[in-house]
Amino acid sequence: MFNQSSFGNSIIGQNSTTPSAANPMKDFEVTQPPDDSISSLAFSPSTLQQNFLVAGSWDNSVRCWEIEQSGKSVPKSMQSCGAPILDVCWIDDGSKVFIASCDKTVKVWDLASNQTMQVAQHEAPVKTCHWIKSPNYTCLMTGSWDKTLKFWDTRSPNPIMSINLPERCYCADVDYPMAVVGTGNRHLIIYQLEGKPQEFKRVESPLKYQHRCVAIFKDKKKTPTGYALGSVEGRVAIQYVNPQNPKDNFTFKCHRSNGTPNGFQDIYAVNDIAFHPVHGTLATVGSDGSFSFWDKDARTKLKPSELMQQPVVRCAFNHNGQIFAYAVSYDWSKGHEFYNPSLKNYIFLRPCYDELKPRSST
Amino acid sequence: MGRKKKKMSKPWCWYCNREFEDEKILIQHQKAKHFKCHICHKKLYTGPGLSIHCMQVHKETIDKVPNSLPLRSNIEIEIYGMEGIPATDLKEHERQRQGGNDSGSDDEPAPKKAKPEGLLGNAPGGPQHPGMMPPGMMPPPGMPPGMSMGPMMHMPPFMHPGMQMMPPHMMMQGQPGPAKPLFPSAVPTSSPGGAVVGADFKPISQGATISAPPTTNQPAGSSTPGSDKVPLIASTGASSKIIHPVEDISLEEIRARRLKYTKVTPQKPEEPIPTSSSAATNLAIAVSAAQQAAAHQAKQIDAMNHHAAMMQRFGQPVRVSGPPIGMIHGGPIMSPMRPHMIPGPPTLIGGHLVRPPPLSMPPGT
Repeated sequence: MFNQSSFGNSIIGQNSTTPSAANPMKDFEVTQPPDDSISSLAFSPSTLQQNFLVAGSWDNSVRCWEIEQSGKSVPKSMQSCGAPILDVCWIDDGSKVFIASCDKTVKVWDLASNQTMQVAQHEAPVKTCHWIKSPNYTCLMTGSWDKTLKFWDTRSPNPIMSINLPERCYCADVDYPMAVVGTGNRHLIIYQLEGKPQEFKRVESPLKYQHRCVAIFKDKKKTPTGYALGSVEGRVAIQYVNPQNPKDNFTFKCHRSNGTPNGFQDIYAVNDIAFHPVHGTLATVGSDGSFSFWDKDARTKLKPSELMQQPVVRCAFNHNGQIFAYAVSYDWSKGHEFYNPSLKNYIFLRPCYDELKPRSST
Repeated sequence: MGRKKKKMSKPWCWYCNREFEDEKILIQHQKAKHFKCHICHKKLYTGPGLSIHCMQVHKETIDKVPNSLPLRSNIEIEIYGMEGIPATDLKEHERQRQGGNDSGSDDEPAPKKAKPEGLLGNAPGGPQHPGMMPPGMMPPPGMPPGMSMGPMMHMPPFMHPGMQMMPPHMMMQGQPGPAKPLFPSAVPTSSPGGAVVGADFKPISQGATISAPPTTNQPAGSSTPGSDKVPLIASTGASSKIIHPVEDISLEEIRARRLKYTKVTPQKPEEPIPTSSSAATNLAIAVSAAQQAAAHQAKQIDAMNHHAAMMQRFGQPVRVSGPPIGMIHGGPIMSPMRPHMIPGPPTLIGGHLVRPPPLSMPPGT
């Protein structure tokens, strides 16, 4: 944390407690971050006592750290694949991590033996992977740019099931018994996973621009009841699968520049959404380089962050909602001309339990 | 809809059609928004009052009430709160309250501090959806009477400033499609999907899927109408810009096209089983170096060949059996992280798939 030099543009006169302009929120910095942009973040499930953080990167590798209570991150292991990583997820017992990659495969990384093995194959890069644990089956769900959603038992080279998507899979989330997939051309499909995965409903997109991220939320009884969908047009839609009232569904703007005096505004993509596992509040991160915490029920913003030097690309809560991890690196939103490989990539850790407490209702 | 009747009697501002909870607040609003002198910021009490103030104090004429709707800018009319509103306008407002669906934009109060950016309002070319009306547009034809937008448009009073940009018309959308009534008022308790499935997400009737009309008419997996030409991100208007490449495909797809990322390292091409990561340290360094110097492609391939050769020497690790103990140290490009690695204790090596990982071991075992 202390040997980080910022890149030349940090202000000399800053007092010593400000680590650098790269870390405006003064959060814990994960040591030895990936060499290229971070594409995915995932905390270990509650079945493990400690917290482990896994991050996939465009540098073709996946890294695993142990996150200590002190905020210290200890690099544990690293695995390389042949192509950029697009998504990672943990198996429910915490013994393995799935790695979805641009090489059109998903591999399973057995952390005990440090072995990887291919478990899924698509005809195009695999954008999402999610582990499904239901009472009567477990499987891996993979969504790809080949316009299919496939389900794998991880032992057979063939999928248990393959579902055609109307377009390329851009984002997905799973919270048994519900799955949501957002695709290109603004399609949105809800699946129900009970018994076997099947399409439940196609939903007309509440957003007018490209889907970028989706996260399922639960009701007070902890059953999945809806989802938040983020688009490239700085907007998030809160949608209930079965809204009691049409007014329950709404959208809100986020990750936009404050208008200049003449009212001109830059609108950034919402790169990721995560729901707090305890409070049910949510975090969004954007290409503008900020994260925000929100209370969807009170429809209020709980906390905005300062702007980072680069976009915030992904975020994740650990299983008990104490730690908020967010990854800062280039997301290609300004094209390759703005890609500066010499800029460092960061993953920050923030104690967040209190900041995400919902507003006490009035 | 009982709620609406209550709201019907709410005080509203003649100048901008905004509704208020209380006439006191309405008066505060009028003083701040419509009766404030733009020169000295003194708050006057009426339009004529403002006009006279400006004339006498600043020697300026004011011909329009500031921040007013085009047809409501008459500075001569003396209006204070709800007093003085022309009777015809009062009646018209009542009528709209009751749900003439010609009200559209008119009685849509502007969110208090909405930025004048044109994200929704200024995007005439943008795709529109039923239920997602930009301000100023008529409600979709399917909207039944009695569902005037007005009453649901209020910023909840507890709305935090951070949420201020939420446009009020966004409060209603998400209905599956135009073929269903947007608001099935005939079935009071149900929402469109609600009749078919329990909230517990359990019973799935085929009808649920089939009857959701608009998105299903596209055969799954078929190429979309615009697939031969690259779709572009619709612009948002002159006052804002979406920071995104113009192509309407995901950032990851654009990025993945780059040569740097398409060079899939030939890990072990024709091999269905394990992509083993175990390798000797010097090899790890070699590969790591090679990968970092992406320009030195030849070197990289060299390294990979070397890697592959090494792998063959080690034989094919099989799914359920672990590697030799000596190989636990990290993958091919582990070198930077290696000092921190905790090799799994021997007892765990070669276990079956569901064993706990060595990661759960305390550091230092």
